[in-house]
Amino acid sequence: MERLDLLQGTLHLLVLKTLSQGPLNGHALANRIKLITEDALHPGEGTLYPALYRMERRGWVRSKWGLSENNRKARYYKLTSAGRRQLELESKAWADISEAIAKIMQTA
Amino acid sequence: MWWLMGKLQFLYSALRKGRVDREIDDELRFHLEMTINENLKAGMSTDEATKDAFKRFGSLTRIKESSREVRRGITLESIAHDIRHGARLLRKHPGFSFVLVITMALGIGANAAIFSVVDSVLLRPLPYERPNELALIWSSFQLMGASRAPSSGTQLQEIRDRSQLLKDVAGIWVGNGTLAGTLEPEQVKIGDVTTNFFSVLGVKPSLGGSFTPEKDGNGLKEIMLTYGLWQRRFAADKDIVGKGILLNGRSFTVVGVLAKDFVLAFPVDANVPMNVQAFVPFQENIYEGPKDLYYIRLLARMKPGVTIEQAQAEATSVATQLRTEYAEYKKENLQFNVVQLHQDVVRDIKPALLALFVGAGLVVLISCFNVSNLLLAHASTRRKEIALRVAIGASRSRIARQLLTESLLVCFLGGVLGLGIGWVGLKLLLTIRPEILTRVGSVSINLPLVAFVSALTFGCGLIASLAPLLELRKLKLIEPLKEEARATSGRAKQRTRSLLMVSEMALGFVLLVGAGLMIRTLVQLHRVSPGFNPSKVLTFEMIPAGGLSQRRTSFVDLCEQKLAALPGVEAVGAISHLPLDDYPNWYSPYAPEGIAEDQKANLLADYRAVTPGYFQAIGAQLIAGRSFDKHDTAEGHPVVIVDSMLARQTWSNDSPLGRRINIERFTDEGFANGWAEVVGVVEHIKGQSLLKSIRGQIYIPYPQSSREHLSFVLRTSQDPSALAGLVRKEISEIDKTRAIAKVRPMEDYVSRALAPTNFTTVLATVFAVVALLLATVGIYAVVSYSVSQRTHEMGVRMALGARPANILRLVLKEGLALTAVGVTLGLAGALVLSNYISSLLFEVTAKDPLTYFVMALVIPLASIAACWRPARKAASGNVLDALRK
Repeated sequence: MERLDLLQGTLHLLVLKTLSQGPLNGHALANRIKLITEDALHPGEGTLYPALYRMERRGWVRSKWGLSENNRKARYYKLTSAGRRQLELESKAWADISEAIAKIMQTA
Repeated sequence: MWWLMGKLQFLYSALRKGRVDREIDDELRFHLEMTINENLKAGMSTDEATKDAFKRFGSLTRIKESSREVRRGITLESIAHDIRHGARLLRKHPGFSFVLVITMALGIGANAAIFSVVDSVLLRPLPYERPNELALIWSSFQLMGASRAPSSGTQLQEIRDRSQLLKDVAGIWVGNGTLAGTLEPEQVKIGDVTTNFFSVLGVKPSLGGSFTPEKDGNGLKEIMLTYGLWQRRFAADKDIVGKGILLNGRSFTVVGVLAKDFVLAFPVDANVPMNVQAFVPFQENIYEGPKDLYYIRLLARMKPGVTIEQAQAEATSVATQLRTEYAEYKKENLQFNVVQLHQDVVRDIKPALLALFVGAGLVVLISCFNVSNLLLAHASTRRKEIALRVAIGASRSRIARQLLTESLLVCFLGGVLGLGIGWVGLKLLLTIRPEILTRVGSVSINLPLVAFVSALTFGCGLIASLAPLLELRKLKLIEPLKEEARATSGRAKQRTRSLLMVSEMALGFVLLVGAGLMIRTLVQLHRVSPGFNPSKVLTFEMIPAGGLSQRRTSFVDLCEQKLAALPGVEAVGAISHLPLDDYPNWYSPYAPEGIAEDQKANLLADYRAVTPGYFQAIGAQLIAGRSFDKHDTAEGHPVVIVDSMLARQTWSNDSPLGRRINIERFTDEGFANGWAEVVGVVEHIKGQSLLKSIRGQIYIPYPQSSREHLSFVLRTSQDPSALAGLVRKEISEIDKTRAIAKVRPMEDYVSRALAPTNFTTVLATVFAVVALLLATVGIYAVVSYSVSQRTHEMGVRMALGARPANILRLVLKEGLALTAVGVTLGLAGALVLSNYISSLLFEVTAKDPLTYFVMALVIPLASIAACWRPARKAASGNVLDALRK
């Protein structure tokens, strides 16, 4: 499968959704997204970290230093309640859009 | 303030920077290492694994940059970047930047200078302990129209005894005294005070103590020296306290030396000058003296928390009591006016200072508008740059910050330069030195000034960036990018700039009118005769030999004879109260014969004792009758000469000659009343101020009223100052123990009286000229920009047959149309605002048509001058070049 370019809003949605299953560090987060989308969506590190910081500033995620599986110091990101609300909002918007796009695609 | 904020943010960010950067580094390193590990597990070589990980990461610096920006928001770095960017722009356009910075510097400099004065005169408290508790109590004799009169010792005691709200009341009267001893005799100003004077004032001597308080009224022979006198005459002798010094032939014990920074701050009309050299307790018992000898200035200290209104109410009720108890006060309908000392000291200068402060405010506003206008013109050449930056992702708030930084940068540079301009300007200005500004003497760049200039600079930065910021909001992304060089750009922008220009001219007009009115006042002051001719006149002060009147008279006679014999002396005379001098005035009631009893207290006159030669020496005009001569002796028929003002007031158009009036005289037994015949009338002489005539004058022959203080007047045929040495020598040959003082040309007194008006006029004129200059630059900028934008249009017009003259007219018309609007608005503003300076004017009304007319011409002329170059450029343009653009 070919890799798709990610829109920024979509990246937020992906990160929020992935983090909703539990706290992750940046590296694991990137891997998880890759894994779930079977490598189709691959957020570049260049966009991932600024996105994470931005989301932290907006209060959607909180971060703290923790230990990774191989006992290395890593920064873990956790969804906040504001993040959860944002996730609901964005997934609904996403559903609406994809539904609308799907309809167009069927008719065209 | 701006730089301080920058500093704080710098420190804060520098502290934060380490942690944030370290965290980002740590996190990214972790990510990289994990990726490399995975790659290794997948079977890559170490080299390959590392390369791949970095490749996937992309530019590490870019990620760090954007991460940092997100995590930190506004940072020192971005501010530093803005400043660097702004500085680069300014450097790239040195001419433009120079105009911007100078414009701002002139505006801020004007404000810095005037603020220093306002601060030290109006804002800074008087250098006394709790100065707000200090008040002056003036006697007011309503019937005679004297609302700020001194008081008698009886009044002082009564107020002190009866008041509940005043802590204490002191009195002062300043006269002259002769210091003798081992050094040359010297005549100095001596303050006669009540013993509690310094404790009421709240001043502690720097050496020794103060007068023995219990001995008030006992003619205590104690003296306190000012720091200056102690340094000068007593070689700063540390052991001087307790020693005796000779004053007026008697020994006084030094009890203390006042501090170096001690000043005597009293209103000008209190006749308590700042140059008093020493203080002694009243030598006469003021409490037992005549109840109606009004000469003491009352200084009160109110109890803490008492307001002036309360003190006034109490003083009013004391006055009522005194009127019922004393016939003297009932006759004159005595009242008291209680005023705060500081308010009273600045009473004369305050309106001028406030007017100048407002003027400076207008100047700086013009500066702001001008900078705004120039930035706007500049911004339009930068529209592409800005649009491009917005297009590639700079946020508008980021660009706004950049614009704001640029304007703040200009204002900051202008502020620093302005502080320097203000400082130099003030130094120059103080050479005019009106007496009230003595406190400003040591000009320094102090904290309040720096705070004021910083705040002003910041405010100016905001105002100046307002118009460019508003433009930014309207900026459309696509248009500037498409736009070609010639584009007939934004009408709206042109409107903003025209508005700024019109405001500048309106404000400039107001300032010009203000300055014009002050100049007219000064001209009038110079034109109007003070009643005497001050040129080539030398004066000096002397206390004639003590003792009885007869001895004084013959001593003065002798001096006059000797002085008249000096080379170049044309006339010699002497007077008890020289015009425009600060010696305490002598004014009292008088009564013409036949006046109704109830009118008697209404008439007041300034009394002067003069020798026969005085009128000729000072250059006064004898209108009718005769002058005094040697037959007007103490035993002779009592006579007086009155001035034209008093004659008109008393006898309207009838001749005063031969009439009798009841007057006051100074005799060996003190002041006494008696009848005298009017034998002559002289032109009124301005005695206290050139601005206003207060009272008429009565001249008495010196032998018939020999006051102990005299000023000699010598009319010479040469430079009067050159005679000073000879005069000193002559007097010391007559009497070695006589000291003379204030040997100076009469013109000095006149220029001192002119100083406050000079000061105001010079400042107002400087402000107006700066304003005019700035407004002209503003017009020039707008018109030349508009011309450069319309080169193509001009080319078309010329191709269609318009001649250069038409083009010239077209451009001038545009400039003049704006000017007309500006002048009209300015006219309205000036008509309203000029009312506030009417108290500063002399024989000119606030709506003086000539001033308005001239200034209404000046602005269009300046405007034409400003338009001329751009207009010529437009008209001389080559048609082909213009069209090609």
